[in-house]
Amino acid sequence: MNTLKRVFESPAVLTLIHYRVVVILIATLFLSVSLVPGLTEFRTLSLSLDRTATLGVVAVGLTVVLLMGKLDLSVGSTLALSGIATIGLQDQLGPFGAAVAGIVVGVLAGVLNGFLVVTLQINSLVATLASMIFLRALCHFLTDSNPISGDDPLFGLTVSRALGGTFSLRTYVFLIAILLLFIWLTYTVAGRRLYAVGSNEHAATASGIRSNRYLFGAFVFSGFTAGAAGVMQSLATNTGSPAFGEATALTAIAAVVIGGTRLEGGRGSALGTLGGVLVLAAITTTLEYESVPTYYQNIVTGSILLLLILLDRIASNSPRSALSLNSLLSFGKRDETPTEKKQEGKVP
Amino acid sequence: MKHVLRLGTLTAVGALALTGCGNDGNGNGAESAEGLEICYVAAAESHAYASPANAAFQEAAEEHGVHVTLLSQEFDAQTGTDQLRTCIGRNPDGIVLWPLDPQAYIPGLVEAQDADIPVVLINSPMDEDAEGLYTSFTGPDTYEQGVMAAEVMHEELGGEGQIVIIAGQAGNGTTIGRTDGFNNMLEELGSEIEVLQTVNADFDQQRALELSRDLISRHGDALDGVYANDDTMARGFVDAWTESGRELDDMPAIVGINGQQDAFAGIEEGYYTATIVQSPEEDGRLALETIVSAATGEEVDTRIPIPLTVVTQENVADEEPAF
Repeated sequence: MNTLKRVFESPAVLTLIHYRVVVILIATLFLSVSLVPGLTEFRTLSLSLDRTATLGVVAVGLTVVLLMGKLDLSVGSTLALSGIATIGLQDQLGPFGAAVAGIVVGVLAGVLNGFLVVTLQINSLVATLASMIFLRALCHFLTDSNPISGDDPLFGLTVSRALGGTFSLRTYVFLIAILLLFIWLTYTVAGRRLYAVGSNEHAATASGIRSNRYLFGAFVFSGFTAGAAGVMQSLATNTGSPAFGEATALTAIAAVVIGGTRLEGGRGSALGTLGGVLVLAAITTTLEYESVPTYYQNIVTGSILLLLILLDRIASNSPRSALSLNSLLSFGKRDETPTEKKQEGKVP
Repeated sequence: MKHVLRLGTLTAVGALALTGCGNDGNGNGAESAEGLEICYVAAAESHAYASPANAAFQEAAEEHGVHVTLLSQEFDAQTGTDQLRTCIGRNPDGIVLWPLDPQAYIPGLVEAQDADIPVVLINSPMDEDAEGLYTSFTGPDTYEQGVMAAEVMHEELGGEGQIVIIAGQAGNGTTIGRTDGFNNMLEELGSEIEVLQTVNADFDQQRALELSRDLISRHGDALDGVYANDDTMARGFVDAWTESGRELDDMPAIVGINGQQDAFAGIEEGYYTATIVQSPEEDGRLALETIVSAATGEEVDTRIPIPLTVVTQENVADEEPAF
């Protein structure tokens, strides 16, 4: 036991655990490059990033929601609905107007979620589960369950085609979104308040932060990014389909969590999310290039997710966590760690 | 370890089987095909129809010495559009695409054309907008299947009666082909068969069962025939029929498509009128052979249908079920 403890407390191991996202990312990339010939070619890199951009933009919005300790399951349905608006309204509004309408649809979906969670005080899991089902049904209703297509299949190619031999437009949108999120969370007062609200809503309210506004804003932001992702996705395929985005919400949440954001709220970062998205992209590209069946990819993704969460628990070492280093080492002994009482906030 | 061994054995057996096939001839053009890189975007990995089609595709590829990268969309067109672009990024000698949406792959097809990569569509059709963007479409002619089903039904009912149609998903290319072909052919034959109702059971047995309960309680014994877009849904109707306490012998004429094993059994027992065999092995093999021809610069037709066989009580003993 003591040797184990010493290993875990050695500076090298602690550093590794601290930078676990980077370590996993480097390990995945290293494996990818050594397994797949030609993966380092710029064209392959550019295409892999392009593929992941839609998911990445959704993950940017989800990072903020998860930071607040909430969930948004409705992002996939929002993505589909705004895609349908983007394609379906092209005749009335023109392609650019319709794209704006798609984003507005996303924002409105976010407002709906904010209203349910903040105003009606419904648990975010349940509220966004409901809006997920509702918006998905709306997609099927509006399209009569058939995919709809735009007039000009070439218009959307600008979104997904590499610009001047570099990356595609949507890749740039994703990278800029990450950069903006990084600046917002790290260098602005509003960003730091997000962490405060996410760590302890009542304490934040008590110290003069309007927590509810931040929560509402987080859902609107998540709707906005899901809407933007829907616009890009539908333009790239020239199709608005009620079936789009069915796996998006869970994959995006996985990416954000792999990136070190905690579901309990209060911890997470933009660069972590970038790392999480890249890890998933590297896994998908590598295994697809090797013709590995999809369910193996899911096994790898699931395992990495679990591993990172365990490492996170070990690293955080908080007495509250059932999986802190101390509690792991004293497994079987009587639990001596004092249980903290959850602060049920009566605001003074 | 055990799995590795088993896999090894399987590969060995497969290789033996292949050498056997190779000796039957069929090796024409194989020399120039040697070493080609083919990217195959399949509908799914584990599915009653897709799995044998994929396996036959791979098998034919090995015979030709072609290397295949298989990507599975898992019935998600969104994933598929991305995978198509990944394929293009690999710059293969040819791409085989199983379209799950009549439109969404068009931008990808444009890119493939720009990159000078031939594309063959397997199994399912795409919209007219996609015409000219792919080299060839192999697979069953779903419209023709509907036509054949109408002929069988017309003959079985002696040209008059009341039937219902259990169709697949609304808007799906296969559903449209099989239903339109059927209705148009009835009209062409001058048939007095009346279609009482058409329902969409999404190629799903359970859903077909539920819808059939309603159909049976509404139309009951007035029904003379049932045309289902596939055998799975026809099975749903058969189950609903027996569930309602009716006899198998009083069953309306049932016509399905796909040539599934249980449809064959039903035909043998006499309560199932006909099915149309569409072989997934043929489907997979034909797509591979077409893309190999296209990639080696041979001329290929833009439409290469797989052979279809109507199976009734007369020939059920001589035909093999598709799966």
